Amino acid sequence: MKGSAAVELAEATRAPSAGINRGISILDLILRIVALVCTLGSAIAMGTTNETLPFFTQFIRFRAEYNDLPTFTFFVAANAVVSGYLLLSLPISIFHIMRSGAQNSRILLIILDTSMLALLTAGASASAAIVYLAHNGNAKANWLSICQQFNSFCERISGSLIGSFGAVTVFILLILLSGMALSRR
Amino acid sequence: MRSDDHSATIDVPHVESKAVIKGKASLLPAAAAVAARPVGGWKKGVAIFDFVFRVSAMVAAVAAAAAMGTSDQTLPFFTQFFQFEASYDDLPTFQFFVIAMAIVASYVLLSLPLSIVTIVRRFAAGPRILLLFLDTVALTLTTAAGASGAAIVYLAHNGNQSTNWLAICQQFGDFCQKVSGAVVGSFIAAVLILFLVALSAMALRRV
Repeated sequence: MKGSAAVELAEATRAPSAGINRGISILDLILRIVALVCTLGSAIAMGTTNETLPFFTQFIRFRAEYNDLPTFTFFVAANAVVSGYLLLSLPISIFHIMRSGAQNSRILLIILDTSMLALLTAGASASAAIVYLAHNGNAKANWLSICQQFNSFCERISGSLIGSFGAVTVFILLILLSGMALSRR
Repeated sequence: MRSDDHSATIDVPHVESKAVIKGKASLLPAAAAVAARPVGGWKKGVAIFDFVFRVSAMVAAVAAAAAMGTSDQTLPFFTQFFQFEASYDDLPTFQFFVIAMAIVASYVLLSLPLSIVTIVRRFAAGPRILLLFLDTVALTLTTAAGASGAAIVYLAHNGNQSTNWLAICQQFGDFCQKVSGAVVGSFIAAVLILFLVALSAMALRRV
């Protein structure tokens, strides 16, 4: 009698925390899909930049593409890699919804998420530095701002940064959620 | 539980079974004490590694900020078209670099007591989760500073033909070297903070 009552009490305390773990895993899956959309959008927006001016002068080029600047090539590559990783990690996330008590796969996911966060932040902030230069130039280094000639190119590259930085925020939340789910009994 | 069953059915063996149960009960706390200590022992090792990496990350961050902050160079001559002085505050990206590395270095310094708490209290999850979150934010800031600095350093070394941006490293050799070294230091700090996040994740495991 006492034994069965003790077992029932243990099950009752375990049930709400298992439910919260499941909720955390579902939120993890949703955030992963959001980050996938953001990084894919950023990669496509930057990768399809192509602006040709209808005139040309002796000193200034008349065509601007993303691979004129190696930093933007790195940005497109980093965003593509991160969105591919997110696509491949969706099954693991679904597995975590079904088995909320899995520990080793969650640790693996945290480590991979952190590496992808570093890669994504590197691509996004390097491109942000170049976009800032493109908008403002630099008087001391004699670097002219190119945005005055290439308006739509400049708008495109600035807008594609937004998706990338949004995905960075989502990744931070993902890592926090995984840590919380890992430590709950 | 067992004593209840025995008290419900049999009287004479009740005394023996109580003695047996008492004997087993006296053994149980000792067994539990012996079993509890080595079970969480690896967490203490992980926490000590965490502290060591933290100190190294702080050193790397301070070195990066200092190298960038003291990167002044004045050329002994000047021409009509080029500047003769280069400093980190000529480029806003480098200003951001110094400020971000200073913030990360002071965060890592302030998180050392929290790391010591996780060494002492091996099974507390709260400080570890807080450290995990703050370390992730610090990693983001360090990587942002390092990568944007690396983009500008790459431009300074190579220039860019499409945008007519000239490489300034050919005039300012010392400035370029110091700035490149600072960026390398910030990447080392980023890798160390990445290890810190991985260690916190492993230590969060329920044993």
